[in-house]
Amino acid sequence: MKTLARRTVVGLLAHIGRTAETVARHAGEMTLLTWRVAAATVTGRVALRDVLGQLHSIGVGSIPLVAVTAVLSGVVTSQQGGYQFTSSIPLYVLGSVVTSSVVLELGPVMTSFVLIGRVGARITAELGTMKVSEQIDALHSLGRDPVSVLAAPRIIAGTIATPLLVGLADGIGVFAGLVAARFAVGLGPDSFLYGARLYWHSWDLLYSISKGLVFGFIIPLISVHMGFGTRGGAEGVGRATTAAVVFMIITVLVLDATFPPLFLN
Amino acid sequence: MIEYIDVHKAFDVPVLSGVSLTVGTRETLSIVGPSGTGKSVLLKTTNGLLAPDLGDVRIDGVSVYHSSRDTLSAIRRKVGYVFQYAALFDSMNVFENVCTGLPDGEAKRARSTEVLRKVCDALEDVNLDPALVLHKLPSELSGGMRKRVGLARAIVGRPEILLYDEPVTGLDPVNTATISRLVLEIRERTHVTSIVVTHDIEQALEISDRVALLTHGKLRFVGTPAEFRASDDPVVRAFADRRAAAEAALQLVEGEDEEETEEEP
Repeated sequence: MKTLARRTVVGLLAHIGRTAETVARHAGEMTLLTWRVAAATVTGRVALRDVLGQLHSIGVGSIPLVAVTAVLSGVVTSQQGGYQFTSSIPLYVLGSVVTSSVVLELGPVMTSFVLIGRVGARITAELGTMKVSEQIDALHSLGRDPVSVLAAPRIIAGTIATPLLVGLADGIGVFAGLVAARFAVGLGPDSFLYGARLYWHSWDLLYSISKGLVFGFIIPLISVHMGFGTRGGAEGVGRATTAAVVFMIITVLVLDATFPPLFLN
Repeated sequence: MIEYIDVHKAFDVPVLSGVSLTVGTRETLSIVGPSGTGKSVLLKTTNGLLAPDLGDVRIDGVSVYHSSRDTLSAIRRKVGYVFQYAALFDSMNVFENVCTGLPDGEAKRARSTEVLRKVCDALEDVNLDPALVLHKLPSELSGGMRKRVGLARAIVGRPEILLYDEPVTGLDPVNTATISRLVLEIRERTHVTSIVVTHDIEQALEISDRVALLTHGKLRFVGTPAEFRASDDPVVRAFADRRAAAEAALQLVEGEDEEETEEEP
């Protein structure tokens, strides 16, 4: 019995050790990648054309999906809030609940989830395929730096596009909530906006955009890092993409949880 | 001149165990040997695609591994690399792929007539009709054509050194003969130093000034094709006879397995 317990503890400690080692390795490699992207950007080795291409792909290409997600977030928040408020709480408070929920949380987080699925997974799969088919090696052999050509444009474009998408999602989500409140619980736009203004802080939008900035940097950073680290053919690309998506979702949620204690209290 | 100085490389197991070799200017050297003996790994240490764990590689007296980033870039511009599966960039057409083989300054002027002429010349050098292939994507080309586009990309910048990684693997006899003839023609026309990693012993003996046999991560033989054919070494003799080569390779692998089994407690 004692031996079994000892083995379980040793196994658990070994698992914790391996996990810590993996986290430390990823953190170290991503810090190095960040440094190399910064160096490539500062020294002018990143082509503006590549950044604009990625801005179009990541930013403009994501607008429809971000808009649909924002509409649904606003509508559902408004309907569920209205359902809870009909008896005792003044209905105009719904304006504040919807606005705060969308701007402080749903806008940035749902937009990030859209980008993880639509952009992060694609970047990892794309770069992973390039890695296993020796296209990254080909870039090296041609004297071109994959960080300048592939990584930096994606990370810069993600960092620029995501806060803008978050701002757009915030606006669309609140508007959708306003319309839904009118039809679901009969709350007019004036009352909705009165409630929204009542608890609105001037820095709420900045808080939301700041989340977008951080998530917009971390999503392409993780996806590029995982893509560059891909090994083992088509199966390896699938494995790396799945791992990257899980990694991005957990990181976004953990970072999201650090925002309120750092900036709202 | 290329010098490999006591090159060691291990992944999970040792792959190269102290390879020292000199390849003279304008010489063509083929490296042959069974699969998994480190031929491609040795080739990739030549232009820094893989760093040796120990030892050094020097090109014209300049260390590939103890030089600045700029020096490594300069070395890479001198070296053309033909990948086993061509490693063409999927998202680019043939013209754009071959363009990447030009020095940075020229590649940026991709629309200039001079660049178009250089790309067309390189494609003609590898017996491809530019009018037919220039705007095709790699996925629209046959295996042999992809290899030839990869070769065109490697030679368009007029390198001083050409490295071929399994240039005929997976090709039918006609395409194999075509590629062998191209290697010879390019050598005659451009006087490049060439290193060819190949399984095809007949091709190696036909196109090379010297042949090196790599087994178990060490050089077993280095000499001219005539010396190779006349060698008393039973393994070399087995490789010189194509039919016996497969048997010899099998015996080597089996011998290795038996040694490993004996070493196990």
